Amino acid sequence: MAKDAGVDLLQGTLDMLVLKAVSLGPLHGYGVLLRILQISQNRLEIQQGSLYPALYRLEHEGWIAGEWGQSENKRRARYYRLTAAGRRRLEAETKKWNQFAEVIGVILNTAREEL
Amino acid sequence: MSLGSRIATWWRAVSERDEVDRQVKEEFEFHIESYVEDLMRSGVPREQALRQARAELGSLAAGREKCRAAWGSRLMDELWADLRYALRMLGRSPGFAAIAVGSLALGIGVNTVIFTAAQHMLLDRLAVPHPEQLRLLWWTEPHLGVVESMWGWFDDLPGGGQTSTSFSYPVYQQLRKQSSAMESLFAFKPLDRQTVTVDGHPEAVEAEMVSGNYYSSLGVRPQLGRGIQESDDGSPGSGPVVVISDRFWMKEFARSANVIGKTILVNVTPMTIVGVNPRGFTGAYSAQGTPDIFLPFSMQPIVVPGNFTGSASSSLLTNIDEWWVLVMGRMKPGLSDRTAVASLNVLLDAAVRATMPMNRDSQIPKLLMTDGSRGQNPAAEGLAKPISVLLGLGGFVLLLACANLANLLLARASARRREMSVRLALGAGRWRILRQMMTESLLLSLLGGIAGLMLAYAVRNAIPRMMSDSWAPPAFSARFDWRIFGFAAGVSIVTGLIFGLAPAWEATRVQVSSGLKDSAQTASHRRRGLAGKTIVVIEVALSMLLVVGAGLFVQTLIQLEHARLGFRPDNLLLFELQPPQTRYRDAANIPLYRQLEQKLSAIPGIQSVALTGLPLIDGNVMIHTFISEGQQRKPEGNPVVLSNDVGESFFSTYRIPIVAGRGFNASDTETSRKVAVVNESLAKKYFPRLNPIGRTFETGFHEPVRIEIVGVCGDAKYDRVRKDPEPTYYAPYWQNKHGVQQATFALATRLDAKTLAPTLRQAVQSVDRNLPVLDVRTQDEQIAASMQHERVFANLTAAFGALALILACIGIYGIMAWTVSRRTLEIGIRIAVGAPSEQVQAMVLREAAWMTSLGVAAGVGGALALGRVVASLLYGLKAWDPATFAGSATMLILVALGASWIPARRAAGVDPIRALRHE
Repeated sequence: MAKDAGVDLLQGTLDMLVLKAVSLGPLHGYGVLLRILQISQNRLEIQQGSLYPALYRLEHEGWIAGEWGQSENKRRARYYRLTAAGRRRLEAETKKWNQFAEVIGVILNTAREEL
Repeated sequence: MSLGSRIATWWRAVSERDEVDRQVKEEFEFHIESYVEDLMRSGVPREQALRQARAELGSLAAGREKCRAAWGSRLMDELWADLRYALRMLGRSPGFAAIAVGSLALGIGVNTVIFTAAQHMLLDRLAVPHPEQLRLLWWTEPHLGVVESMWGWFDDLPGGGQTSTSFSYPVYQQLRKQSSAMESLFAFKPLDRQTVTVDGHPEAVEAEMVSGNYYSSLGVRPQLGRGIQESDDGSPGSGPVVVISDRFWMKEFARSANVIGKTILVNVTPMTIVGVNPRGFTGAYSAQGTPDIFLPFSMQPIVVPGNFTGSASSSLLTNIDEWWVLVMGRMKPGLSDRTAVASLNVLLDAAVRATMPMNRDSQIPKLLMTDGSRGQNPAAEGLAKPISVLLGLGGFVLLLACANLANLLLARASARRREMSVRLALGAGRWRILRQMMTESLLLSLLGGIAGLMLAYAVRNAIPRMMSDSWAPPAFSARFDWRIFGFAAGVSIVTGLIFGLAPAWEATRVQVSSGLKDSAQTASHRRRGLAGKTIVVIEVALSMLLVVGAGLFVQTLIQLEHARLGFRPDNLLLFELQPPQTRYRDAANIPLYRQLEQKLSAIPGIQSVALTGLPLIDGNVMIHTFISEGQQRKPEGNPVVLSNDVGESFFSTYRIPIVAGRGFNASDTETSRKVAVVNESLAKKYFPRLNPIGRTFETGFHEPVRIEIVGVCGDAKYDRVRKDPEPTYYAPYWQNKHGVQQATFALATRLDAKTLAPTLRQAVQSVDRNLPVLDVRTQDEQIAASMQHERVFANLTAAFGALALILACIGIYGIMAWTVSRRTLEIGIRIAVGAPSEQVQAMVLREAAWMTSLGVAAGVGGALALGRVVASLLYGLKAWDPATFAGSATMLILVALGASWIPARRAAGVDPIRALRHE
């Protein structure tokens, strides 16, 4: 897979990314992978081996729901869609992440004279 | 996060394992296909694309595992794996599995059987709505209280005075009328067997007399017809109706609905059946067995009349002296027991003052209340202690089985050191290994529990049968319900934890480095040996306790069976007659008995016929005042002795010797002067150094009678084998002015009960066809029946003792065999440097003897403590009987030496060359 960008995934953020990817429309596992690559403009690398356990974990928590459907190339694939609980979770996580990023950003960008 | 989806996915992961695996596989395949297509599109050859896709996604097996784990299936998967592994391990050592499951099954089975009987007799509640609201009234009065005459249960208080649950009917009526402290007060009275004739066929059934509000207060609705109502319980004779039990309905009427309105004779009084009790209803007196007919109190003067103290009337409903009615009530919600008792006490005081003649010093009973949810619970009296002792001993057996199993498992744990080392080396956590070992022990204990439950179910009626008279159907039957399953399951799990924990812990302490070496004699050897030996010492101690217990109880039974009775019980056949008072008032039954004596004597094969008012050794005595010649009757109380009304040939039939004077003969008639034969104890106590013949004594309470002593007979036991003969006089039954309400005929014959019973019935019914012949049995059976508890104890404790010896044998053999195999090298060296084989053998035996002695010593301590508890259940020997203790100790030491003999021989036969090469 494309590896032009060297951004490693922060621990615990995979769940968030999967939820976000699925929130834009139902996707199968491979589709989730592609969607994340696409949104990140190929800058984010995801360990494929950890994708499916993450999907199953999210389904176990009730944030996404899996269903069998037809893929674009007419094959059976399991599609995941966001549930109402998942949407709430995604919103909460997004908010938390933004706050976190902002605080970290402020700290890291502080210049000497501002103190 | 939602619990619903968690449970749903977890359940799918656990229950549809293959389905989920297939799903993951399909998703992976789809992923790889799509990826490969994308890669090929960008120019990668298919082979290489496939390889890359597979490498990036990782292995399918790991993926499946992780996905299912994400659904929370891990614990179950591991448990399942552990279970399969445990089953495989057990399958590989069937001998061990059989011993383990077998000993647990015996231990758990025994406890379940005892628990079944215990919960039935001690814990069962009345089958009525909200039994916990019921309270039974009782009272205590100091010495010389106003209540002098009671019919029913009573007990002497330790400091003088007495306690009882009986009330006089007038007092009950006053209480009921004025009581506002309780929801309602109702009364009942269990009657002994009454003669009931259904379609011309007489029999004797138990009855209960109940008040008009009994059914409504208990909240019981008959399954057919109606209950006894207030309108049935009005003026005497106003309610000639009965409600019958479900059992009686089935037995006599085959559950026919036409039974309502049918007339049956109760003591030859016609009564109409108005209802059938629901199945399971046992009346208010006891939760164990139900009376067969229920009738209103209003019928007492007609159906069960009697002569009672201080009254010429046959009615007890107006009698103020006789206290006989049991009173129960329901608590009002929100009212405390204390408040209710306080207000009832005021009422009782007033009721007693209003109904009984009082003088200045009269002491009025103090009312108390007790839990009525089990009725009067007659079964609990005297059974609570034996049953708790049995439960305790059963617990020891189970503990012993546990110890034995722990020992076997410890030995296995050491055999499995390599396996554990490999597991640890491969990265298994200690907790994981502990869990696997616990799974194995719990599997064993649950298998043992299931087998034990089946065993208990198979022998569930053994205790009820042992506790019932041999000539009657069992008094109760064991029911298996959820409580029994709960008990067995709980006991199994606790046992599994107890015996599994130590070996499991031991298993996780393996040192990986040493455990993997081929024959590691490691530092943990000594500790492990110590653990095993400690368990063996405990086993021996428990065995000692159980063997001593068995010795004590078996000897008690033997002593009882061989106790000197003072009469000869062999070749005596007994039966009862209960001529109803309605037909044979007072002395009217005497001609009946006379006639029967003649008829029975004429039957070929019957040598002699003796009548007794009370049968010997059935637990009942008659007590009479005894004021010997020259003494004055004292108002504050007089000495009492035992008495019995007997027939002319009583002494010869029972072969009780007349040691002075004469027995009864034809010269003693209804009208001649009253005579009696006294036993030696009475003569010794009341006429010391005097000749009692020709002297007189006075007896009777309200109507004193003077009786002349014409003879002295040898001492014979009366009500119980356990009790030494007490001062007793025997009087000819035909001189009793009130007749004999219930008589036992003793026939000296070599014929057995079965052959003779029809002839007896014929003879009795040729005189009165409404008179059933009751309880045909031999005197030996009667005596055996009086030892039911002792027999249960002897049988169970003997079984416990034998089991204990077997388990101890297995335990000692196991530990010694293990020790010898561990010490092969050491023994080899000893022999190589010249130790004679006898010395090696002695060394092993010495070790066994040493462990056993320690265990025996500990067991003696335990057995002495046990002895203090059971002392009152023993007969003919002390709880610390030295012979029993010495015998048990010797037996255990012999068993221990026997069990270690084979390992000792093996040790002596060790070939030093092979032993050393082995290392």
